[in-house]
Amino acid sequence: MSKRIWNHPEVPQDETTVSWRSAGQLRDTAEFRTWLDREFPQGAAEMANQDEMETSRRTFLKLMGSSTALAGFGMVACRRPEAYLVPYTKAPEWVIPGKATYYASSMPRAGGAVPLVVTTHEGRPTKVASNRLHPDYEGTDAFAQASVLDLYSTSRSRKFLKGGKAVKRSEFEAVIAALAKDKSAKIGFVFGADESPTRLRLIAELGKNANAKFYQYEALAANDSAILGEGVKLVPDFAKADRILSLDCDFAGTDPQGSNVAFFNRRKPEGQGYKAKPDAASMNRLYSVESAFTLTGGMADHRLRVAPGMVAAFAAQIAREFDIAAEGIAPITDAEQLKWVKALAADLKASGANTAVLAGSRQSAAVKHLALAINLALGNIGSGISAFQTGSKGFGDIAALTADLQNADVETVIFLTPSNPVYDAPSDLKFGEALAKAKTSIHLGLRTDATAHACTWHVPAAHYLESWGDARSSRGAYTVVQPMILPLYPDCVAELELLLAVLSEDGKLVTGEGDEGKPAPALEAVKATFAKDKAAWKNLLKNGFDASDTYAAATPALSGNAAADIANAKSAAPTKDKLDVIFATDSSVYDGRWIDNGWLQEAPDPVSKLTWDNAALIAPKTAKELGIYEEIIQLETTFASRSPDNEGSGRKSPVISLEVNGKTLEIPVLVSFGQAENTIIIPLGYGQGFNADDELERDTKNARHVGLVGVNRGFDAYPLRTQATSYFATGAKVTKTEKRYSVALTQEHNAMYGRALAREISTDTIDHKGDFKAQLAKVKKQGNDSHAPENISLYKQEDRKGGTLLSDKLHQWGMTIDLSSCMGCNACLVACQSENNIPIVGKVQVAKGREMHWIRMDRYFAVHKDNTFDADNPAMVPQPVACVQCESAPCETVCPVNATVHTEDGLNAMAYNRCIGTRYCANNCPYKARRFNYFDYNKRNPLIKNNLNKGPAGVRQDKEAPHLQKNPNVTVRMRGVMEKCTYCVQRIQEAVIRQKRGQKQEVIASGNLSPEVTVTTETLRIPVDSVKTACQDACPAQAIAFGNLLDKDSSEMGRAKVLERNYDLLNYIGTRPRTSYLARVKNPNPDMPDAKFVGQSTIHMV
Amino acid sequence: MANIFPRWSNLLPLQIAFCLGTVGAGVVVGINYYATPKAQVVGYKPNQPIPFSHKIHVDQLGLDCRYCHSFADVSGHSNVPSGNTCWNCHQHVQKDSPKLEPLHVSMNPAHPRYDGKPIEWVRVHKSPDYVYFNHSAHVNRGISCQSCHGDIHKMDVVFQDQPHSMGWCLDCHNAPENHLRPLEEVFNFNYGDGDVAKYTTDGSIKTTVDLGKKLKETFNVHPKASCTSCHR
Repeated sequence: MSKRIWNHPEVPQDETTVSWRSAGQLRDTAEFRTWLDREFPQGAAEMANQDEMETSRRTFLKLMGSSTALAGFGMVACRRPEAYLVPYTKAPEWVIPGKATYYASSMPRAGGAVPLVVTTHEGRPTKVASNRLHPDYEGTDAFAQASVLDLYSTSRSRKFLKGGKAVKRSEFEAVIAALAKDKSAKIGFVFGADESPTRLRLIAELGKNANAKFYQYEALAANDSAILGEGVKLVPDFAKADRILSLDCDFAGTDPQGSNVAFFNRRKPEGQGYKAKPDAASMNRLYSVESAFTLTGGMADHRLRVAPGMVAAFAAQIAREFDIAAEGIAPITDAEQLKWVKALAADLKASGANTAVLAGSRQSAAVKHLALAINLALGNIGSGISAFQTGSKGFGDIAALTADLQNADVETVIFLTPSNPVYDAPSDLKFGEALAKAKTSIHLGLRTDATAHACTWHVPAAHYLESWGDARSSRGAYTVVQPMILPLYPDCVAELELLLAVLSEDGKLVTGEGDEGKPAPALEAVKATFAKDKAAWKNLLKNGFDASDTYAAATPALSGNAAADIANAKSAAPTKDKLDVIFATDSSVYDGRWIDNGWLQEAPDPVSKLTWDNAALIAPKTAKELGIYEEIIQLETTFASRSPDNEGSGRKSPVISLEVNGKTLEIPVLVSFGQAENTIIIPLGYGQGFNADDELERDTKNARHVGLVGVNRGFDAYPLRTQATSYFATGAKVTKTEKRYSVALTQEHNAMYGRALAREISTDTIDHKGDFKAQLAKVKKQGNDSHAPENISLYKQEDRKGGTLLSDKLHQWGMTIDLSSCMGCNACLVACQSENNIPIVGKVQVAKGREMHWIRMDRYFAVHKDNTFDADNPAMVPQPVACVQCESAPCETVCPVNATVHTEDGLNAMAYNRCIGTRYCANNCPYKARRFNYFDYNKRNPLIKNNLNKGPAGVRQDKEAPHLQKNPNVTVRMRGVMEKCTYCVQRIQEAVIRQKRGQKQEVIASGNLSPEVTVTTETLRIPVDSVKTACQDACPAQAIAFGNLLDKDSSEMGRAKVLERNYDLLNYIGTRPRTSYLARVKNPNPDMPDAKFVGQSTIHMV
Repeated sequence: MANIFPRWSNLLPLQIAFCLGTVGAGVVVGINYYATPKAQVVGYKPNQPIPFSHKIHVDQLGLDCRYCHSFADVSGHSNVPSGNTCWNCHQHVQKDSPKLEPLHVSMNPAHPRYDGKPIEWVRVHKSPDYVYFNHSAHVNRGISCQSCHGDIHKMDVVFQDQPHSMGWCLDCHNAPENHLRPLEEVFNFNYGDGDVAKYTTDGSIKTTVDLGKKLKETFNVHPKASCTSCHR
C-alpha cells in the first residue's frame, strides 16, 4: 500500500527555522522517511501476531460460505420489521419532538463555575456550550465538553455501598436519620474547592452544631488564604493587562485563573472580531517562566525554561528590580538571563497598572508572595488584576482533617469533594490510616473510587446535569446549576440533598423530584438562597446568572509571613544525579477524577501527544546525559527489536525507575522539548486500578476502583508526593530498567507535509524580513508561495450544462482559524466528538493510527538555527486541522461511487450510506483530514481485549447508557465507512430551514395572499454569524470564525478572510480550501536578548 | 461412426441461450420492479391498536392536520398526537366505544386496566436512519401533506401511498412546480384547478401546475439535490 508521494520542494538554503514534530523526525533518518511514506504506521495494515489473528484466511472462507448459505433463509424475513411510534401520554411543556431545547446552567469547579448552555434532545442532555450572555463568559475547555459523557458513563456508581458491598437504600437512610437526630455529633464535612452560596448557607446552619467541622479539599487546587488573606482571590483582567508575566502559571490550560477571552482577543492584532486595522500596539505581551511546555508557555512571546525550584529565584530576581527585598534567595548569575530579567522588569514598569503578574497556583508560597509584592509595586490591583473577597472562609485542610481523625475529634466524616483523598492525599499524611479510625465515613461520588471503597458507606452521586444547585463564576456572578434530567439511576443523591437530610428534623433523604406534590428540596434550598422575587428567579433560570449578586472587591496586602516564607525558600538548580520532579496536573484526567472518561483519555495530551496513559517527560539533553536517549528514540516495535520506526502498533517506550522522597516508581519515559534540564515531569491521576489484562501485570487489588475506560491506565505518582513536595520534589534519581511499556502517541499520525504550513511573523523588525508591516504583507508569500506561479485549473469549474458549480446564491460557507490565538488545547476536538457522534477507539487502535477525531491538533516545534540565547528552547506551534472543504477537492475525483461530492453551498459532502470504503479519498487527501471506521467502533466495545476482531460475536455497546448521549441529527457511522468534518452540516441545515419559516411570517405580516408576497434573498439568507460550528462554539480562544462568505465584511469570518495574514494551507497544490488560516503573530520585546529569534517559527514539513 | 447428436440438436445451444437470456432478463426486470420501494412499501397498511379513521376526523369532521400533528410546521418530525390530545375530545365523545379501549388504558385512571403507558402506534412511513427529512422545510414552503402522504383524508386505515424512495424525492426536487401550492392551501386536501383563480388575475394560469411554476419564481424555490440536504 504505497501512496502517491507529493514531492514538496526542498527548504531553501537561506531558511533559518528548523521545525519538527517528533524526536525521530528531527533526526531524519532514511528509515524514518520510509515509515512516513506509508499511509498508516507499520503494523496497522498487517495482522501482527497469533493473538490478533482471530480470523485466518481459512476460517474467513468458512464463515463467508456459511453466511452466504444462511442468507437464503434470511430472505423469508425480508419484509421490514414493524416499528412503533410511541408518543407521550401527557406532552410535557416545551418539548417539541425533533427539536433541541436549550437551558442555561453551569459546571461547578474550583476557581469558578463554567457558565454553560446545555442542549437537550427530548430530555437527554447531549452537548454543552458556553453561555455567551454570562459576564464571565469563558468558552469551554475539554473537561467541560467531556463532562456530559460522565453522566452516561457505564462505570458510574449507581448503588449504595456498605464496606464495598451493594446494600439497599433503606439501610443508608437509617444512618442519615440517626445522624440528623444527633445534634452534637462529632461530624466532619469535606467539600470541594468550588463555591456554592446555598452550600455556604447550609454550612452556617450545620455550624450550629459546635462539634461539626468543615474542610475543603481538592488534590490540586490551591488555597491562598495564608498569602492573600482569608478567602481573597486574584483574578487577572486581561482586557486591561498589556503585559503579563506568568510565573509557572498555566492560566490558559490546567491552572485556570478566570476568563481568558480578553487575553486571546488581544493576541489578535486586529482585536476582537477583526474589526480594527492590524495594530501591534493593541496586542498584549506574555512572558512565561516555566519548567515544561504548557499551553500558556506555548503562547508566550518570551519563554524562559527553568527548573521548578528556580522559579522562586527568578521571581526574586524580578522582585529585586522593584526594590523588593528577597534575601533568602540566591541571585541569578547568568548574564544573559539577567538581561532577560532586566528587560522584562523595565517593560512591566513602563506599563505600570496595566500589567498582571500571575503565580502558578501550585507554586510555593514564596513565589506567590513575590508575585503579589511585584503586583503591589506595579499598582495593578484593580486594573490588570482584580482582587475579590470570596465566601470560602474557615475551612480546614486535609492535614487538619487527618489530625482530627487521628485525635477522634471527628468521628463521622462525609466526603463531598470531587477529589479522591485516599488515592491523592500527600503520602506522608497516611490519610488512609486516619480514615480507618472514623466510626462512620460516608463518600458521595460519581465513581466507586479508592475513597468509596475505603469508607464505610458510599453514596452514588447525581451528576451536575441532574441536580439543583448554584455556584459562583470566576469573578463571583451568582450562577445557577439546573437539572436537565432526573438522575439516570434512582439511588443517586445530590450534595445539597444529602446536606438537607442531615439538617432536617427527621433525617429523611429526599432525592430527585421530591415527595409527591412537594417541590424538590434542593430546588427549595436554592430558591431560599437566591431570595428574590419570581421575576428575578425566572430571569435567573433563563439567563443562568444574576450579575447583580457578585463578589465584593478586596484589597490584598503582603502577608506577615511573606518575609519568613521568602527567606526560607530554597532554590537550587538540579543536577543529573539530583533531578527535580514535577507532579503535574494532567490535561486529560486533571487530578485523576476524569480517568473513566473515554473522550478525555483519547484526546492526545496537547504537548506530548500521548493518549490513554501518562509517562515521565524528560528534556533530550538530560536524557542523553542519563544515557537513555537512544533507547527512547529507537523504540521497540513488533517487527524489529530495534527499529527507527517512531510510532505505530506495538511501539514501546523504555521504563525507568525513579527514586524520590524515599519511594520508587517505574514509569515509561518520553522525550519532551523545551523542558528545563535535569527535570522530570510526571502527570498525576493515573494508575488507579489494574486487572488481569495489564501489560506489566501489576497488582489487581484496586481493579474495582475504575471502570473499563480507566483500568490499566498509566502510572500513579501520588505516592511519591508529600505535603512539602506537593508540586515538585528535588533530589530524584533515575535508573534504567529492562522493562518496556506500549505508548499510543499520535504526533506522527496523519502527518501532513508541505512548506509554510503554520506561519508566524513578529511585530518586531527582523533583519531580512523587515518590520511588522512588511512581514504582514509577505504572509501570503511564505514558503513555496513566494515563487510558485499561480495555479491554473485544467478542469472547468462548471457542470454539464455550463452552469456554475457553487451555485447557491444564499450561502457559501467558509472558516478561518487564527493561529495567533489558538493555543492547542483540546476543547474543539472534544466538542466535535460530542457533537458529531465520534466514537473512541481505545489505546490499541490509537497506536495503529486509527483515532477518529475529525480535528487533528498538530503540534510543531521550531527553533531558529542560530539561536544563541537558548537553542534547546524551541517555540511550540499548534495547528488544528480538520477537513478544509476544498473547492477543487482531490478526494472527490477519486471516489468510485460518488460518496463524497460537492454541494452548491461549498461543502465537501460525505454521504456515509453511499461509501463502500475504498479509502481512495483518504489516500488522496493532502491534508490527511479523513478518518476510516476500521471496525464498528460505535457498536462494538473497543475497550474489551480483542473484542473488535470478534465481529458480530463481540460484546455490543450500542444499547448501553453512553448511547443516550448521541446527537440524533448526525448519522452514527458503521464499519467500513469514511468520515470527516462537514462544518457541522446538521447545524447549518437547521438554521437554513428555520430561516425558511420566515416566509410565512412575512405573508402573515403583509396581510396578502402568499403568491403576492415575493420571497427575496433577505428572507432566505440566515442572519450574519447566526450559525456556530461546535468547535467554534467551544473555543475558549475565539480562534475559529465560521460564516457565510456572501455576508462579506459584516461577518467575522469575512473580515478575517481579507486580512493580510490570511493564507491557504498548501495553497500551491491548487485545492482552493474554504478553511484558511491566519498567521501567528508574536509580539516580542525588542530589548530582550532572545527577541530576534521570536516570531519566525514558520513550519516546514518536507 | 454414426452421428451422436441428431440433426435437431443443432439448434439446441441457441435455444438454451435464448431461454437463459429470457429468464435472465426476466429476473433483471423483476428485481428492478419488485425490489423497489414502489413495489415493496406502497400500500403498506398495518393494523393499528386503535382503528383510527382519518376519513371521519378530517373529511367528515374537518379537523386540521395540525390539531393532532401539531409540530409538522415547526419541527423536522411530524409528531403523532400524544395521549392527552386524543383524550381532550374522547373523554367526552364516544366514551363507550370498545375501539377506544387502548386509549382508556393509557389515559383514563377510572378504567380497571389503566396503566398510564403510551399507545404504541405502528409506524407506516419510515425513512432510513441516514435520511433527515424535515417536515417544516416542506410544509412552510408550499408543499402539501398530500404530495407525500396521498389522500389521507379518504383513508379509513392509513397506508403508504407514495414510494418515498430517493428517486421519488429527486423527481420533485427537480420539478417542484408539480407540487407547489400557495401557503394557504398546504393543508387543504381538496385543492385543485378550481382553486387557482383565487390566487391570480392572470388568465393564462389555469391549472395548479401553472400556478406552481409561478410560485417557484415568487417563492424563490431552488430545491437542492446535493447529498447534505438529506444525509449528514
